[in-house]
Amino acid sequence: MAIMGTFAFEEDFLAAAEKLQSSGFDNISLLSPVPLAEAQKVLGLGKSAVRRFSLAGAIIGALAGFALAAGTALVFVLPTSGRAIITIPPFLIITYEMTILFGVLFTLLGFHVVSDLPAWRDRPYLPAANIDRFVVVVEGAAGEQAARAEAIIRQAGAEEIHHVEEDQ
Amino acid sequence: MKWGNDLSTFVEKFRQYLKPGYYDEFDYHWTMTIDLDRCTGCEACVVACQAENNLPIVGEKRYAQNREIKWIRIERYWEGEYPDVKMGFIPMLCQHCDAAPCEIACPVFATYHNQDGLNTQIYNRCIGTRTCAVYCPYEVRYFNWFTYTWDEPLEQQLNPDVTVREKGVMEKCTFCIQRIRLAKDNAKDDDRRRVRDGEVVPACVQSCPTEAMAFGDSNDPEAKVSKMMKNPRGYTVLEELNTTPSIVYLKKAHAES
Amino acid sequence: MFDHGQPSYAEVNKDILSVMLETGPRYWMLLGTTMSVAVIFFFMPWFYQLIVGVGAAGMSRNAYWGTYLSNFIFWIGLSHSGTLLSAILHITNSPWRKSVYRSAEAMTLFSLMTAALFVMVHLGRVWFVHWSFPIPNQMGLWPNFRSPLMFDVMAITTYLTASSIFIYMGSVPDFAAVRDASTGTRRRLYTIFSFGWRGTAREWHTLGWAYTFFAVFVIPLAVSVHSIVSWDFALSIVPGLHHTIFAPYFVCGAIYSGTAGIVTVMYCLRKFLNFERYIGQVHLDNLGKLLLALSLIWSYINMLELFSSWYGGSSFELEALKFKLTGFYAPLYWEMILFCAFVPLLMFFRKFRWSWNKMLLISILINIGMLTERFIIVATSQPRKFLPNAFGFYFPSWIEISITIGSFAIFATMFLIFIKWVPAISIYEVKETLKPLRRDA
Repeated sequence: MAIMGTFAFEEDFLAAAEKLQSSGFDNISLLSPVPLAEAQKVLGLGKSAVRRFSLAGAIIGALAGFALAAGTALVFVLPTSGRAIITIPPFLIITYEMTILFGVLFTLLGFHVVSDLPAWRDRPYLPAANIDRFVVVVEGAAGEQAARAEAIIRQAGAEEIHHVEEDQ
Repeated sequence: MKWGNDLSTFVEKFRQYLKPGYYDEFDYHWTMTIDLDRCTGCEACVVACQAENNLPIVGEKRYAQNREIKWIRIERYWEGEYPDVKMGFIPMLCQHCDAAPCEIACPVFATYHNQDGLNTQIYNRCIGTRTCAVYCPYEVRYFNWFTYTWDEPLEQQLNPDVTVREKGVMEKCTFCIQRIRLAKDNAKDDDRRRVRDGEVVPACVQSCPTEAMAFGDSNDPEAKVSKMMKNPRGYTVLEELNTTPSIVYLKKAHAES
Repeated sequence: MFDHGQPSYAEVNKDILSVMLETGPRYWMLLGTTMSVAVIFFFMPWFYQLIVGVGAAGMSRNAYWGTYLSNFIFWIGLSHSGTLLSAILHITNSPWRKSVYRSAEAMTLFSLMTAALFVMVHLGRVWFVHWSFPIPNQMGLWPNFRSPLMFDVMAITTYLTASSIFIYMGSVPDFAAVRDASTGTRRRLYTIFSFGWRGTAREWHTLGWAYTFFAVFVIPLAVSVHSIVSWDFALSIVPGLHHTIFAPYFVCGAIYSGTAGIVTVMYCLRKFLNFERYIGQVHLDNLGKLLLALSLIWSYINMLELFSSWYGGSSFELEALKFKLTGFYAPLYWEMILFCAFVPLLMFFRKFRWSWNKMLLISILINIGMLTERFIIVATSQPRKFLPNAFGFYFPSWIEISITIGSFAIFATMFLIFIKWVPAISIYEVKETLKPLRRDA
């Protein structure tokens, strides 16, 4: 059972979110049409774990890049232009490009892991949340808890309240 | 200890791979000398090369477009003003540079330096970026702009030891690598370790009526080329580019006036 | 920011999505035209060239690289402003970026694809192009990573990957908006495209971080891509190409022509998609100032290039320089100087910077100049290398000219398809620039 409350104004929405958060509801989602730094602050989102993926990707990419260039040069030794087989300066360029390539790909992976997207199941959602409404979703609340959540949302000035059955 | 040996071999190999130049010494260092004093510009070498290496006849129109394929060409230079005019020749072919600007350019290793000091061109590997030709300061690389055919019965005279190239492939002088190969095989069959001096003769050298050209292994101090190279008239073309060519020209001597 | 009054959130969605969801006959006619031009001018001559051989083009022993390669650089250059500018403006937090960047990034992507096509057209045996990728094969033969062309392969594939991811990730919330506004197959498709985006605080937070990292990765990447392209030339020892200044020269020229390209694209979006409300004076003015700065840098580097050729005093360089400045292609050279160094000076005046029509003209002239710049690099240095005996002359054949024209049609086709598949202006970021929905507002 999920309760969704829609708000027309940002400050009402943020007030409701804060109230819910402080009342001990831990499974709340805050849907907004634009990124809101305040909403992220309410949920206590600080530094994202994505940055770890980026760093790991960049390091792996750098190693892989140099290994690719140097390793393949050794697999089949073909001297050219009187240069060394493992020629450092050009291989650093390959390393540079691969660092970025892997950094980007790992950041993408990190995004998917951290944001839990793509979503494999339907989750409580209102299309208006992507246009001009702010939506608070409280999930996993039942009985008295649900009633309490609903009261908080209504009190904060929600326009509408929806109840959605979650498919388990 | 086995592992220790492996490691030291590995370290040694790795050092070698990091060394610029890579080769300490070529097995053979095929070198050519061209004595410009003897060159008459008769172009016999050009024709011999054409026959030996299956070079296509591109036709008048394509010749005018500067798309001919001549692994060796005679460049003519004029000095002075008419009527007091002098003409000089210089046969220009792939210089087989030890530090070749072309080799570094190929993304697919279609050209590389082999253990004989030859700048090789592997037609099957070429994808036709033409970068090598742009990088070559001697402009001795030729591109197959089209697939050329030989009219009957000319296809009968194609050399079976040399590939016929298709369109989109770069080609250039190989120092008649098929003859080098043959000489090496013969040397092996005769239980000799080395090819004898004068055993390999590229088509151009063979056909030169004035014997202006000499070809051989400059690693061998007794070889004819090694002696010719010591000639004070010797120079390499575009020396300032540091390509270290394998062709040494002997300057034309002028009487001091 | 907004010339015609501030729209509401819902209006933003409606305005931008209507471009995607409502298609008139004019669009189909335009798409049909560009596609036919692309086929007739690009693909048919290319097909002919594939059968006959690259000899169908005008290249010869005088110039082994021709218009195909100069166009390749031109298109790569054009791709340089979109993603790079968008990334720089993103991390410097410039709000005027937000309604411009989506189309600019699309421009990056499509001109990069067009550039990649030109590599294919250029190759003698394009059917073996996969040999230049590091793919394991039974012969154990790998590409030559010491080759400047291999740097190119790595840089361009990385750039293509990174800029596709960059534009895609920036569009995910907008794909969700398309999903919500559509039905049927399109809805199902955009459900997949949008990954089931809901716009929760956590999703926004993660996207923001990831996006910033993409931006941080893309900036050095874009700079490296065009410097690597310049090394294709500069690492040769050909007089006229062997210049250390080439990397900054190319990077600067790339951003320059790319920014001019953005102005042209902005003009078209505004004019034909009725985005007057979102693309306003401030964008034009800022782009104009940027163009002006870039033109000054470009002129300076160009002067330096001539100066170092002349000051070096090598006879080969001097010959190449003489051919460039006074040879057959001298008129083209001076045209380039006029269009890229002098015409942009007009942007010192606000009258020019604030007029869409004048800016359109200037931006097109700049890109004509940049197209010829690349052509001159290719066509004046190669025929004047070292041996006077091999001095020659290069002139493109009709096939090369036709393929050049066709490439613009390919770009236009891809862009026309793009505006129907992706919101051409970022919906959520335009909303961010609006006043927030507050009770007191």
